[in-house]
Amino acid sequence: MMSKKTTGAVLIAGGGIGGIQAALDLANSGYYVYLVEKNASIGGVMSQLDKTFPTNDCSMCIMSPKLVEVGRHMNIELITLAEIKDVRGELGNFEVDVFQRARYVDMEKCIACSACAEKCPKKVADEYNRRLIKRKAIYVQYPQAVPLKYAIDARHCLKLTKGKCGNCEKACPAGAVNFADTDKNVTVRVGAIILAPGFSTYDPAGKLIYAYDNNPDVVTSIEFERLLSASGPNQGHVVRLSDHREPKRIAWLQCVGSRDLNTCDNSHCSAVCCMYAIKQAIIAKEHAPDLACTIFYMDMRTHGKGFESCYNEAREKYGIRFVRCKVHSVFPETGENRGQVLDFMDEQTGKWTREMFDIVVLSVGMEIAGDVRILADKLGIGLTDAGFCQTASFDPVSTSRPGVYVCGAFQGPKDIPQTVVEAGAAAMRAGVSLAAGRYTLTRSITPPPERNIYGERPRVGVFVCHCGINIGSVIDVPAVRDYAAGLPFVEYVGDNMYSCSQDTQDAITRLIQEQNLNRIVVAACTPRTHDPLFQETLLNAGLNKYLFEMVNIRNHGSWVHKDYPAAATEKAKDLVRMAVAKVAQCQALEEAQLEIDRNALVIGGGLSGMTAALALANQGYPVHLVEREAQLGGQANRLYQTARGESIQDGLDALRIAVENHPGIRTLLNARLTNVDGFVGNFVTTMDQEGRAETIRHGVAVIATGATESRPTEYAYGQDPRVLTTLALDERLRRKDTSLMGVQTAVFIQCVGSRELGRPYCSRVCCTHSVAAAVHLKELNPEMNIFVLYRDIRTYGEREKIYKTAREKGVVFIRFGLENKPRVTVAENSLTIEVLDHVLKRPLLIQADLLTLAAAVTPYKDEQLARFFKVPMNADGFFAEAHVKLAPSNFATDGVFLCGLAHYPKPIDESIAQAQAAASSATRLLAQKTIRTSGTVAYATPLDCSSCGVCLAVCPYNAPFMRTEGPFAGRADINPVLCKGCGACVASCRSGALRLKGFEEAQIMAMIECA
Amino acid sequence: MSDRILIQKDWSPQFKNKLMALLPQGANLSLCLTCGACSSGCPASGLSDMDPRKFVRMVALGMDQELIRHPWVWLCSMCKRCSYVCPMNIDIAAMVFEGRKLWPREERPKGILGSCDMALKNDSCSAMGTPEEDFRFVVEDMLEEVRTNQPGWEALQAPIDKQGAHFFLSQNSREPVTEPEEMAPLWKILHLVGADWTYSCTGWGGENYCMFLADDEGWKTITEKTLKQAMRLGCKVYLNTECGHSTFSVWMGQKRHKIETDLIIAPMVSYYAQWIREGKLKVNSDWNKELQVKFTVQDPCNQVRKGFGDKLADELRFVTEACVGAENVIEMWPNKSNNYCCGGGGGYLQSGYKEARLHYGRLKHEQIARTGTAYVITPCHNCHAQIDELGQHFGQGAYRTVHLWTIIALSLGILGENERAYLGPDLVEVNLPGY
Repeated sequence: MMSKKTTGAVLIAGGGIGGIQAALDLANSGYYVYLVEKNASIGGVMSQLDKTFPTNDCSMCIMSPKLVEVGRHMNIELITLAEIKDVRGELGNFEVDVFQRARYVDMEKCIACSACAEKCPKKVADEYNRRLIKRKAIYVQYPQAVPLKYAIDARHCLKLTKGKCGNCEKACPAGAVNFADTDKNVTVRVGAIILAPGFSTYDPAGKLIYAYDNNPDVVTSIEFERLLSASGPNQGHVVRLSDHREPKRIAWLQCVGSRDLNTCDNSHCSAVCCMYAIKQAIIAKEHAPDLACTIFYMDMRTHGKGFESCYNEAREKYGIRFVRCKVHSVFPETGENRGQVLDFMDEQTGKWTREMFDIVVLSVGMEIAGDVRILADKLGIGLTDAGFCQTASFDPVSTSRPGVYVCGAFQGPKDIPQTVVEAGAAAMRAGVSLAAGRYTLTRSITPPPERNIYGERPRVGVFVCHCGINIGSVIDVPAVRDYAAGLPFVEYVGDNMYSCSQDTQDAITRLIQEQNLNRIVVAACTPRTHDPLFQETLLNAGLNKYLFEMVNIRNHGSWVHKDYPAAATEKAKDLVRMAVAKVAQCQALEEAQLEIDRNALVIGGGLSGMTAALALANQGYPVHLVEREAQLGGQANRLYQTARGESIQDGLDALRIAVENHPGIRTLLNARLTNVDGFVGNFVTTMDQEGRAETIRHGVAVIATGATESRPTEYAYGQDPRVLTTLALDERLRRKDTSLMGVQTAVFIQCVGSRELGRPYCSRVCCTHSVAAAVHLKELNPEMNIFVLYRDIRTYGEREKIYKTAREKGVVFIRFGLENKPRVTVAENSLTIEVLDHVLKRPLLIQADLLTLAAAVTPYKDEQLARFFKVPMNADGFFAEAHVKLAPSNFATDGVFLCGLAHYPKPIDESIAQAQAAASSATRLLAQKTIRTSGTVAYATPLDCSSCGVCLAVCPYNAPFMRTEGPFAGRADINPVLCKGCGACVASCRSGALRLKGFEEAQIMAMIECA
Repeated sequence: MSDRILIQKDWSPQFKNKLMALLPQGANLSLCLTCGACSSGCPASGLSDMDPRKFVRMVALGMDQELIRHPWVWLCSMCKRCSYVCPMNIDIAAMVFEGRKLWPREERPKGILGSCDMALKNDSCSAMGTPEEDFRFVVEDMLEEVRTNQPGWEALQAPIDKQGAHFFLSQNSREPVTEPEEMAPLWKILHLVGADWTYSCTGWGGENYCMFLADDEGWKTITEKTLKQAMRLGCKVYLNTECGHSTFSVWMGQKRHKIETDLIIAPMVSYYAQWIREGKLKVNSDWNKELQVKFTVQDPCNQVRKGFGDKLADELRFVTEACVGAENVIEMWPNKSNNYCCGGGGGYLQSGYKEARLHYGRLKHEQIARTGTAYVITPCHNCHAQIDELGQHFGQGAYRTVHLWTIIALSLGILGENERAYLGPDLVEVNLPGY
């Protein structure tokens, strides 16, 4: 039947972080990508955020390299100002009609010099800044936008609406303005579609209770995000907008437009607001330490990795006040003592209280916009009651239409890491379904041949970055630039508004060639994120990428010395002088190229491991699946149903059968790893399977070793058969244990061993699990009395629905605090659970015949495995990913990937998505067939080696080894493939036999001498 | 220890189950998230150590014994400011209404009980027991007085039992019984706009204390009586006088008790607005141009939040601004549908809980005091009485309370000298007729 050829291209609708990640995954693994974005540039909501939790990284800064990579990727075609009109065809062969609005600016010609906008007389509300300020009718959304090309807002342009003006056309030095531009209809052929349209925020306009209309001192959280941002309307200086005074008191109101059937029709929890409110409060307090921040909430939902500790820190370190009460409404007090009046019940005193705040931030929830619902309807895609995309737990990124996948907030409310995970999963699903078309439509170019600069006199180019106002508002950038011009070997100097923007990159490439430069220094932000970007620019100009130095005058300059601009400027000059001295001595370095073994090793045969194995095997990569137990399935073997009511055993069986019958998967049960050698692309792992040793060679490894249910040490667990854990209850439900029907009163206690000293994290799954179990018990016997004793109900996202169902069925929820945990007394004929009712503040004595404890999910803390693969664990014992936001399924160690409970507790749909994402990341690597190692590695001069062995002892990556043959047998050498260039061996070598390329003694000394 | 709440194995929350069965969607009461929004916005929070959230909680936990004869059900005015924001749409007022029934009928507050029984006893439906013939006498007497003493009003009408009139006008007993002069401004307004209206001897009493008493049968009887009389007279519109609870009792009573009628049941204020827009009521605010007397408006819960919504609140402002000048209207915050109940509704004024009622009203007083206005316009009898008392009790008479008819008539220059009982010295001689 497969007469038609599979089209090796994918259309991605939506250029937010989800769409971007999916695009990069696919484009880097052999597929051509059309990225369709409705705005003039990509970036989505993440580009509007100030900082991101829980690490408080600058959102734009961590995103910008990805934007640029998309912008310059030869296998990603950006279609901006566009939307999908119609889709025909089926999986493998879709025809998509795309409507693209006219830009009125020729993208080929525009150099983004802003001359047009300066002359444009028409001011328009700036949507990027949430209408807090105005922009011009000809605009770029934000300074780092990709593509960095101006666009004309046709609805407001005087020329286009009234036939007058035309200033921009006259002002443009490049002749890029084209008023004759027209809207276009384009049809693209793709094999699969990924929907990543994102969310819109709840609009509180018109609601009396929020007093948002015509009141500048009540803002939405996304508006506040812009106010916090250095690139926002007030340069990050938070003021009360009505009078531009600095606020003394700010209140956040949670669940505005979420978990509300009255003011709106959004019964879902938006999953991200609790955490972003905490983040905003922390940042606001960092801006102004005397600021009083109060967060009014119903349940604090900090269920993500690292979130609970962030919540604790907000309370204990930053002194942010958390008030558990939904404020009735906001009303403004005008005049001298202006402010926003909030009435609330103070939990401590139990009394009605009134307080005034300077600013009220409405933590608005996520919604799916009308146009997205229309698109879904057109595509024939099922939606949930709340308007999110309908998916299944065992296939979390597939829509109801084959070949159409989904990721990000449209799949359900979620944060950035989970969006990135799903983007990987969607890329994986699309990639697997189009495997026959891989590399059929992609293009490749080879960078220009590397210019041999050996023997040339250094000709250094220095570029100093303003980083908008990040650097420029503190450091005198032109002064630094002019200073650099006078340094030895400097032939060219320049300053840029945003050096990371695509046009600046192109300009640097051009300048290198025009000026015949052979060394480059960029004084800007952090090399941690931006080194690769500038190095690629050098490559494009035909220069070896190691002829480059980056100076961080932002994090180490303008940010830390913001009150001392003159001194910061001097420091920047010093740093640039040192960098120039060093770069002049830099030499071209070579990168070794090595083959990647196509085999994959998946460690852990639970749901995540099996999913990852299947995803890799379905793309033709041989997989070795290792499980320490005698059967596959892991924790899922004990589970009953998902929160959506799907049978977990059915899903598990289907997966197990698929894995067992797959010719490309070799399953090793009762097996343990005994050793791991090698490195990315070429691992050698030895295994013990029931006494039989085996060696496996593989190019990548996926760690999916899971976690387990902890054994409670309280609440009479182990003293009475009527006290059990959630998993034990699930087993009874699964067995259809009829004795459950006879239970008159069942009690659940939450957070048993979680969110406490010793295990401070939230186990994420237990609230949903217990609530679902309570519903199952009610279904067995509607007369059963059920009480759930909890600390915060964390049925995040659309899981809120099962919480509502439980309440509808009469389940009673009682909250307790750590300071007064429930007490359990065991007697002959009943258990008695005593708990203080949180509303009445009176003790409740519940006589129960079943007590279920929501025991914590606890990691295995497998230190041996961590050592084998040189991957880190966090303080809780979960494996630590490469980056909490943007690389949640990767390790910093190349070639090793992470998914499932080993990363953090998570439900089935998220485990499966992460397994697919890990497989997607692994595919990116495997699809390349070869990899290049770094050029900055250590090397040995064997003649000087005294064979002491210290280098072998200090290296965390096993890169040094002792030669066993040849004239220098017994002396140390370095495997450049394993070396990470950390320099530990170099520093420890007493004989001076070890050096680090790119950090030669002469280079360092040159820096020191001119410091 | 009495403090403890014991949940035995055979636990069964009877009152809750009853409510779940009785109320539409079980009043959503089991959906409670215990978020506290209700109690945060409730002026009765803290009275009798109770608040709306606690009340819902006690119902949910089956604490029926403690709920029986609980005084708080009379300290809640059923203003529904709680439900207005409840994310789960829990109808707490409906639960309190049923909670009032947990008091044996004869033990419910005497003031409310007596008024209900009085209204049930006579066909006028007057809670003050005014018989039909007394009502006719007072109206005719008052009409005669205006015709005689106020030049230009010789043709003023106050029809009773006029067959085929367009409007059936209800009348709160307070005016005919204690201050008949207060009736005249409304008659004049109706006269000026050429309204075809009538009172009725039977069923004219607008008030409905049986509703407050949670006596559903009585509520129905009274509503049915007054509606039937309007239908008998062939009227088209059942026009409620400026009285919040009576408007609500008829409007909601018709629905709740499924009384069949084609009558349009409408509040007075929207007709004032319509007549001004149509140019029939030529109000203007010139009289206040120099005086700059400031007014604020009270949105009666029963008419606005519980009844006709923000649209009616906007009409109230439209009328007020037309009469006193937009620059002289100062808003209370919060307002409109989010307004605080004054504490006069729900039978509060008759229930005997005076101390609680004044405590309840403190928020309203503070709201008014912050506006700094001299007058509060209250198109509601209970609001009127309560705010008048709040002004005396907390504010040493810093502000006064007036019906809308007074201000409309004032601005039209038709407010007679004896119709100014609620105006202060600053206005008592302003814009008198004939000057």
